[in-house]
Amino acid sequence: MYTTDTTATDIELDLDTALNPGEIDGVYRDSRECAYLALLAGGGALLLSPPTPRPKKG
Amino acid sequence: MDQTHASSPLAGAVHDLATEVVLALRSGDHLATVCGAAGIDEENRTGIAAARVIGADLLLPSVLYGRHPHPGDVAVLDRAVREFPPKPDAPAATAWSHWHMISTLQRMAQPPGTTGTTGTASPGTYEEPDAAWLEQAPWQSFTHQLSVLAPLAVPAAPSAVQRAAAARAVDLARGFVRAVRRRDWLQAAGAGRWLAAIGGEPATLGLERGLDFVELMGGHDPRVTLHVRAARLMAEARAR
Repeated sequence: MYTTDTTATDIELDLDTALNPGEIDGVYRDSRECAYLALLAGGGALLLSPPTPRPKKG
Repeated sequence: MDQTHASSPLAGAVHDLATEVVLALRSGDHLATVCGAAGIDEENRTGIAAARVIGADLLLPSVLYGRHPHPGDVAVLDRAVREFPPKPDAPAATAWSHWHMISTLQRMAQPPGTTGTTGTASPGTYEEPDAAWLEQAPWQSFTHQLSVLAPLAVPAAPSAVQRAAAARAVDLARGFVRAVRRRDWLQAAGAGRWLAAIGGEPATLGLERGLDFVELMGGHDPRVTLHVRAARLMAEARAR
């Protein structure tokens, strides 16, 4: 457990962020993880379907 | 918790607290005190803030195993409710998690044979916040917000959020897949927990195996493990 000095403002700012997290940036699976899924999934068809196309840059 | 790996004291305390909830869920030990094990008491402001983040899941082992919570855990949750109420301009999700903490305190901390509130400090009547925004939300943000509100995904705790989730189970299933693909393990775990709580997901989703994968990839975060474990316990209860 932490015992460091932390101001009330620090805690409240951190708390607001923790209570309302934004979505993290998507990082898509690589083929090794797909292989894990193939081993695990059995009948899970949706998780193994092709990934959603990513928007093109530029 | 290794402080060098936490982004802030609060993040470290949340990590510690979530870890203890997971241990209590795994053990099913009704005598376990989650907060005591995490070194948190009513005088520890960072710990109380962590309890606000974990929310009603602080009492999740007692909720899912149908046992009375430890008085120390009830006291810390009660203190978190009082110490960190939602600000007037707080997002709806913050108001909902606060509402659910109060609701859980009133439900769980009630001595047998009584019908009123406990008098431990939990406020009395507290109306549900608005949930109409959830009905209109696109499925992506709907899943994100529901995942933030995953502590509300528990049995026998009806709410407008739970009704919205039940009405959009297919959207939640789509959101679960999206979160897995984006490697957002916490969101995936939260969405999976909702699906386990409400049912109604497409059979082709493969939720059970999907949750295995989420835990495999994201289990270093105890909040992910907490949601996955909660989902499994609820799925097992539904199957019985």
